[in-house]
This record gives sequence, structure tokens and C-alpha cells, in this order.
Amino acid sequence: MRSAGDRLPLWIAGLVTGLVFILLYLPVFISLLFSIVEIRQGKILWETLSFRHYVTLWSNPSVMGAFSNTAIVALISVAVATVLALVLALYTEWEGAIGRRMLELVIYLPFLLPPIVTGLALLVASAELGLNRGLATIVLGHAVFVLAVAYRLVLTRLQALPHSLIEASFDLGAGRFQTLRYVLLPHLASAVMTGAVLALTLSFDETLISTFVAGDQMTLPLRLWAMMRVGFSPEINALVTLVLLVSIILAIIVAWRMKPRGQVEEG
Amino acid sequence: MTEMRRRWLIFLGIAVVPALLIVAPIASFLLLSLFRAEKNVIIREITFGNYSSFFGNWTYFGTFLGTVLLCLEVMGVAVLIGYPVAWFIWQQKGSRRYLLLLLAVMPLFMSYIVKLYTLRSMLGLNGLVNQALLGLGILEKPSQAFLFNQRAVLITMVVIYLPFVVLPIFLALERIPRSLLQASLDLGAGSWDTFRRIVLPLSLPGTIAGALFAFVLALGDFVTPQMVGGTTGFTIGRVIYSQFGLAYNWPFGAAMATILFITALIGILLAGYSISRQRV
Repeated sequence: MRSAGDRLPLWIAGLVTGLVFILLYLPVFISLLFSIVEIRQGKILWETLSFRHYVTLWSNPSVMGAFSNTAIVALISVAVATVLALVLALYTEWEGAIGRRMLELVIYLPFLLPPIVTGLALLVASAELGLNRGLATIVLGHAVFVLAVAYRLVLTRLQALPHSLIEASFDLGAGRFQTLRYVLLPHLASAVMTGAVLALTLSFDETLISTFVAGDQMTLPLRLWAMMRVGFSPEINALVTLVLLVSIILAIIVAWRMKPRGQVEEG
Repeated sequence: MTEMRRRWLIFLGIAVVPALLIVAPIASFLLLSLFRAEKNVIIREITFGNYSSFFGNWTYFGTFLGTVLLCLEVMGVAVLIGYPVAWFIWQQKGSRRYLLLLLAVMPLFMSYIVKLYTLRSMLGLNGLVNQALLGLGILEKPSQAFLFNQRAVLITMVVIYLPFVVLPIFLALERIPRSLLQASLDLGAGSWDTFRRIVLPLSLPGTIAGALFAFVLALGDFVTPQMVGGTTGFTIGRVIYSQFGLAYNWPFGAAMATILFITALIGILLAGYSISRQRV
């Protein structure tokens, strides 16, 4: 039985949690509000309610250009990282693998290191190789950055697969390739997809590595940063709201996919 | 072909991609830190001059120590706030627990630059913080105290990196078998004793890992200090960034980034060690 005294810590922790959630989410609502109405002297002028700032964004070539760059970078880098993650996960789970721990540390490094280090490393390397900075270097930067999450998700699924599944496939006369194609890949497909959506979310928001490798190209976060330096405007708030909306939708998809469900059926 | 030789060949075939994309770039900037720049030209002779001028010049070394101190503060405050939040979510049951966890983790997916923007507008002269304090009668006129200084950097970093702390603590708490808590209560320990002797020690590795993640992320952050730090919120990340921009001394910037890299690597390895010990 819990006494009133025992419940006090729960109330305090609940209060802290509530305040933290307000702090984390209030800005989202404020941006949304500022993007559709005018606020003067702390009063909301409801008669100014309009979505015209969203329409202006649509006809702003620099914003639309940044948006299409972001989409291109996200799609290519996630595709590259996903394929690489799949190959690496299959390798590190193979019984003949060499240097497994070392390889994993290298895979996780760009995700764990401060982005300034990853960004600088890629900047210096591309300068040494005489590569022009642009979309291609951003794609590379994002690919190594999101590789860790794609790899981790595939690996976790691979480790959860019952070994009997693979043995059964071999016993039934399937070769290595057939086992991969007809047994492993179908079981990994959903983990690969979840990893890809998660990677997409990260690439969409990535700012710090991009700063170093972007050259004169702009992605959406970089464009937003450049606009922010000038000051506050309803247009920025509209863009901020849209960016948040995309992130939240992607995050909900990931959460929904990762929700614990029944495990792979045994035997 | 022997079995071992085949294994090595496959290893080389696989490892070449991460080696080219991850190891080689890091190696190239480590190497660059040993060169020197003269009038924007990089002279490729091995020297430790960049390191000696870093440690010898208090402007740089002091900024570095100040940044480490700031990041330790961020880490401490984030744990002090993050632990109760994780604990509260852990105390909930069923779908409410899952929903609260989702709400706590969702900010991880929200754009970094957007969070920075919204926080900056909240802390500013006409921001929500000032409006609220004016409304409550605590302040008589809007205060500049919340923006463009070291404190603003601290507040902003705590808010941004808080979810990175909450998640590992929650995962550590969730791993504690209910039977242990039950046994402790059955044996007559009060809930405070149970917390102090069971929950806290068992969740400590996750807490340390979360704290170190926050520390490492804050350490390299150069945009937050630039956006909310003004002139007093100078961090080593900003100094490094300027070496690759205005100051244009790549080798010196690389040397400072190397020191940052080593500090971060120690943090990461400690976090990994802490997590690997967490086997209940």
C-alpha cells in the first residue's frame, strides 16, 4: 500500500515531466500560431488569420530549390546507406567475420562523434581529393551519418531470427544465395524499411555535417538557418511549421513500425 | 585457397567501403593537423606547432576548458531534469507509458535548427519568457538576460539534448526486473530504500551513458553558441568553425578538432563501457 508520503516523489516527477513537455512542445504551437495570425502587444489578432505565408513559400524559388535538394540528398543517401547497412550486417553476423568489433565501432563513429568532427573529416578529405563540394558530398556525408541507424536496425532483426530458419533452408537444399534471397531478405524487409524511414528523418533534418560539405548548395535546414540570421518573419514560421510537420509524420511512422509486436514465429 | 585466406579476402572486400568513407576522412584531418599554413597555403611538413600554439595560447586553451566546463554543466542539468522524467514515465502503465515515452523521444526527430529558432524566439526580448515574467509582475521591463550570453547557450543546449538523456535512462529502468522491486518491498524496505539500493544502482549505467551522449553532442555544437551565445557565449566549436571560414587556417582548425575528437572519443568509449556493464 502506498501512503500519501510515498506519492510525493511521483507528483514532483510528474510536475517536472509536465514542465519539460511544455518546454519541448510549446515552441511548435507558437510557430504554428505565428505563421497564420498576427500578434501585436501580446494579443492575437484573429481577423488576420490566413495561410498566405504558406502560399508565398510555394513561390519562393530559393526555398523550393532547397526543398528539392533536401529530397534528392535524402533519397540517394538513404538508398546508399541502406544497401551498405544490409551488406555490413550480413557480414558481421556471418560466423567467418573478421574484426567484427572494430568494424562496428567504425560504422557507429560518424553517428556518435560530434557532427563537427565528421563534417570536417569529409571536408578535408574532399579537398585533398580535389572534389568539388556540392550535392554529391552532402549525399556522402548523410550516407555515413545515417549508416549507423540503418545498420543497427537490420542487425537487431538478424540476431532475432532463429538459427533453425537458416539451417532448415540449407537442409532443404538451398544454396547460400537462395537462402539469402528467399529466407533472409523477406524476413529483413520490414527492418530495412524502418531503418530507411528513420534514416530519411535524420537526413531531412541534418544541419551540422551539411554546413561543412555543402559548398554553395542549400538544403532546407541550411536555407532556414540563413533566413534565421536575418530575423523573424511569419514566412520563416510557416517554413518551420512545415518542416516540423514532416519530421513528426516521419517520426510517427517509425514509432508505429517499431511498436513491439509478436516475434518471428519459431519453427 | 585456404579457408583463412578466403576469410581475409572477403573481409577486405567488405571493409574497403567503411575504410574509404569513414576511416580515411578522419585520418586525413588528423594528418592535416600536423601540417602548417602560411598565407593560406598549406605546407606539408610534419610539425606539432599547431598543438603547441593551442596549449600555449590561453585564448584557445581557455576557451576549450570553458567549453568542457559548459558541457559538463549541460550534462549535469540534463541528468537532474531527465532522470525524474524517465522515472515518471517508467512508473506509468500500459499505453500511457508508451505515449509519454513517444512524446519524450519525438523531439529527437524534430529539426535541430527549428528547435534553435523557436528557443531563440522564446528567450528573446519580446519572447515568451519575458512576456510571462512581465505578465506575472516579476519583471518591470523586458530583460536581455536570457539571450546572447553563456546562460542562454546552457539553457538551449539542455532543452535540445534532454531527450538524448531521457531515453537511455528509461531503457535502463525498464530492464530492472519487477521481481527485484517486489522482493525488496517484501523484505520490508521502504520505497525510498528500494529506490536508493535497487533502482538507482541498476539504472546508473544507462544514466552515465545518457549523460555522456549529451556531453559529446554539446561539445561539438557550434551553431547553438552562434545563434544564442552572442559575444560571450564563445565555445571551441565556434573557434574551430571560424578556422575553416574567416580565419582560414585549416591545419590549426584540424588540430583543435583533433583535441575535440579525442575528448569525444573518450566520452563515447566510456559510455560504451558503461552500457556493456549493464547486464542485470
